[in-house]
Amino acid sequence: MNVWRVPAAVAALLGGIAAPAAGQAESGPATRAELIAARQAAKAEALEPEEPSAGEAVVARMRTVLLESPSGAYPLVGSVRSGGGFAFGGGYRRYYRGDAYWDLHGLYSMRGYKRVELGTASVADTAVPGRFEFALRTGWLDVTRLAYYGAGMDTAAEDRTNSRLRQTYVGGSVRGRLHPWVTLRGEADVEHYVLGPGQGPHPSIETVHAAAAAPGLGETSAFARMGGTAAFDWRESPGYTKSGGYYGATLQVWFNQDSVYAFERLDVDLVQHVPILRETWVLALRGRMQSILDDGDIVPFYLLPALGSGRTLRAYPTDRFRDRHALLLSAEWRWVPNRHFFDMALFFDAGKVAPRRADLDLRGLRTNWGIGARFHGPSSTPLRMELARGREGWGYIFSASPAF
Amino acid sequence: MPFRTRGIRPADRRGSAQVGRGAERSRPAAVGGARACRSVAAVAVAALVLTTGVGGGGRKFYDDDPLRREPETQDASGVAARDIELLYDLPYNLFARPGGSAARVRAQNVNTIDEVPDSSWFTNRILARPISIAELLRGPNTLDGVDEQRGVITGLKNAGAAPGFVGRTGDGEFWFVTFDAAGHPEAATGALMVASKLFWALGYWQVEQYLTELTAADVADGIGISPDATVRMPSGERRPLRRDDFEAVLARAHRSADGSYRMVAARRIPGRVIGGFRYHGTRSDDPNDIVPHEHRRELRALKVFGAWTNLVDIKAGNTLDTLIAENGRARVRHYLQDVGSTFGSGANGPHDWDEGHEHLFEFEPFWKRLVSFGFYRRPWQTARYENHVSVGRFEAAAFDPPAWRPRTPNGAFINARDDDTFWAARRVTAFSDEMLRAVVTAGGFSDPAAERHLADVLIARRDRIGAAYLPRINPLVDFTLGADGVLTFANAAADAGVADAPGGYRAAWAEYDNRSGESRALGDGSRSSSARLETPGPLPSRPGAFVRIEVSAVDPPRAAWTRPVHVYFKRTADGWTLVGLERLPEHERMRG
Repeated sequence: MNVWRVPAAVAALLGGIAAPAAGQAESGPATRAELIAARQAAKAEALEPEEPSAGEAVVARMRTVLLESPSGAYPLVGSVRSGGGFAFGGGYRRYYRGDAYWDLHGLYSMRGYKRVELGTASVADTAVPGRFEFALRTGWLDVTRLAYYGAGMDTAAEDRTNSRLRQTYVGGSVRGRLHPWVTLRGEADVEHYVLGPGQGPHPSIETVHAAAAAPGLGETSAFARMGGTAAFDWRESPGYTKSGGYYGATLQVWFNQDSVYAFERLDVDLVQHVPILRETWVLALRGRMQSILDDGDIVPFYLLPALGSGRTLRAYPTDRFRDRHALLLSAEWRWVPNRHFFDMALFFDAGKVAPRRADLDLRGLRTNWGIGARFHGPSSTPLRMELARGREGWGYIFSASPAF
Repeated sequence: MPFRTRGIRPADRRGSAQVGRGAERSRPAAVGGARACRSVAAVAVAALVLTTGVGGGGRKFYDDDPLRREPETQDASGVAARDIELLYDLPYNLFARPGGSAARVRAQNVNTIDEVPDSSWFTNRILARPISIAELLRGPNTLDGVDEQRGVITGLKNAGAAPGFVGRTGDGEFWFVTFDAAGHPEAATGALMVASKLFWALGYWQVEQYLTELTAADVADGIGISPDATVRMPSGERRPLRRDDFEAVLARAHRSADGSYRMVAARRIPGRVIGGFRYHGTRSDDPNDIVPHEHRRELRALKVFGAWTNLVDIKAGNTLDTLIAENGRARVRHYLQDVGSTFGSGANGPHDWDEGHEHLFEFEPFWKRLVSFGFYRRPWQTARYENHVSVGRFEAAAFDPPAWRPRTPNGAFINARDDDTFWAARRVTAFSDEMLRAVVTAGGFSDPAAERHLADVLIARRDRIGAAYLPRINPLVDFTLGADGVLTFANAAADAGVADAPGGYRAAWAEYDNRSGESRALGDGSRSSSARLETPGPLPSRPGAFVRIEVSAVDPPRAAWTRPVHVYFKRTADGWTLVGLERLPEHERMRG
């Protein structure tokens, strides 16, 4: 169909059932029906197959490639790790059975972070209770500017050092629902970390910190990690929601062969989205606590709970604050210029890290505030842009996921 | 036995002879004489010349005017199936607004008396003829119910958002079965049942829908699955359909306390499916499709019918064309296939709060909400809804018909003029209270209060439709010219009680030359305080003579009523026959 075909439209206009017959010669059709029949006969002589317009063909092709084509190459936009900026890459996926595939993908971020991963995964409708998805993966990650400012809240922005963390991993995971509101996830990995001199404008970590102040510094470490998450999750979708809540806990256990770094970490996340006046506004609240369970355990600095990033203390750079325990509180007042595509938000974050769990109180919180714009779909937030202001200045956030 | 029908409820079998409120009056012919009104006729002819772009010398009316059926003379067997890419169609309609035009032309498929002939798109029912309640409740259905014997599942539903499956019964019929979404009992199925009756009565081709249920025993005994049934796997390959696939569908469906699942079985429509239709342009491979869809009145009228029923999901994807054989030729028949997103619910629960009030995107409310931190107030934020899960968010108090919005605009709605919405509003207001209270019983609602609420809202919204659109233009209808030279007519707005009657009416009479387009005034006009005007002079008596009468209101409640309706009568052996009616000119720039 070509809607821009003006002559055809004009011809049809003149061929209307009530169109005045002015101009018809005496020898013309004797009846209105004959007049219309003549015009239909004329069209029958010039029929064309229905073809999609160029724009429609492009969209159809994109849908097929991105959403429906299960096997083949695909483009990828995302993140290697927080702090790396947007990452771009591609992948190749090949189904080897109806509901399981091999996948190989790679990403390269704006700050030079890299990831390559090979894996296999099953596909299931995990919205249906009792259906689980399984995945096995192995990969390599290169974080060239892993930040470390020292432990605790009393560090300064100028204290930043960088290290380069290269991680190799192999592991698997399973996730699904026991009930429409109860989600479970379990995972186990073997992880190998190589820590080296950092890149970027900041001093490399080994030039500032000794190993005692930054456990794991200069070491090559291998861990086995097991984790499990149980949550009540009645959000509309993890990728975007205007209502519902997430109340979950994750327990992770790390241990290595010489048991130097054996430790357990508990993360508790409480998220509630409160729609107001028929979702004209949404009050979104989050509380998160991360804690190393045993005070005697030694934890590599790069696995310590951390604050600062586009999803935590948003005015502060990634991993700005690290310690054995962390508390984060966030509130967002969202308004909805367009219900289907676009949200705005004013937000406030507050958080602290502490060497002892007992110190996770509301005193000495580091705070920031800001404003954000989010382009979203019914179940995803492909672009979140935020501007945040904290004690150390402005933070700019571009992300392809929701804040919480 | 996979599913069992409830058949037609007792209410469906009512045989009352109740008819629509405005069933058209008969139109006895009459004869008379008149003088020409040359100046007005000259303007009219000039307008015709301008609109057609050709000179005079032809005729305005043919012997077979007004057409009662739209001719479809060509064989359409060459039409090929094609899909409309909805990911493109939605933003294209939302932002490009294809088919839209500021200078709106008259609907091009109306006949010379401004009515829509029957066609493969539309069949005149309500208003055009009496419809009994029994007929209304039967709607498009031709069966007494679903024959559940030896029924099997042949596949899962892959269109639309509602959970469902495809089945085949022992009699060879195929059915597209839809469940209510979990937590929303009777909502999707009830809306489908009621809406399909309404849209059938309004004149659209509708799918046969039957209310059925999957009993707990059916589920427990095992579901019959056809050995040919397959399901698409994530890989894109297909494998045999298994019981757990069907159980996953049931997991998304609402399960009643007794373990049964309520569902609507839609009978496969006859013919070969060739895809949906757009609300603009024509189908380039259908030789009979010569009127751009944005200029089809029955599609423009969906702006009113959609508003009445809150059919928010009007899009190509909810239409279906099929190729059928008729009188030895292949024809394309156009179905309004999915009218389920009506009233207050969609397939998976209640409508979003703003549905029916805003398109998916509108720039003005967008930027106003953006800069006001959301404090820009809209009616949907404060509309009050009764809490009926089976009806959803459906109310009348905040309903403003011209302000109603479907999810996406379309060319037909953009081009709708006041004569189109008037035409549609007459059909909506033709539904009597009794008809509407009866038709909601087709929904099989278990809660009488919900059923009553749905009828109450439909009645109230019907009245708002009438108040909004009937008085908007000169609302004179049902013209007859008697043998005694008396012109009678009705005032649709005043008769519906949505406007006061004017102080009177005046008419200018002329003998009309169908060949030249010229007219000769018959007398100095006539005037009356009632809807009855006498000819000011003798009317021509020869067979084939035409008279044109321009009728307008005196001291009307609306200024628009002073614009005359042009009616044309032709002298036949039986008297005067109405052959022409023009309520608005061919082109007119419309108000919002």
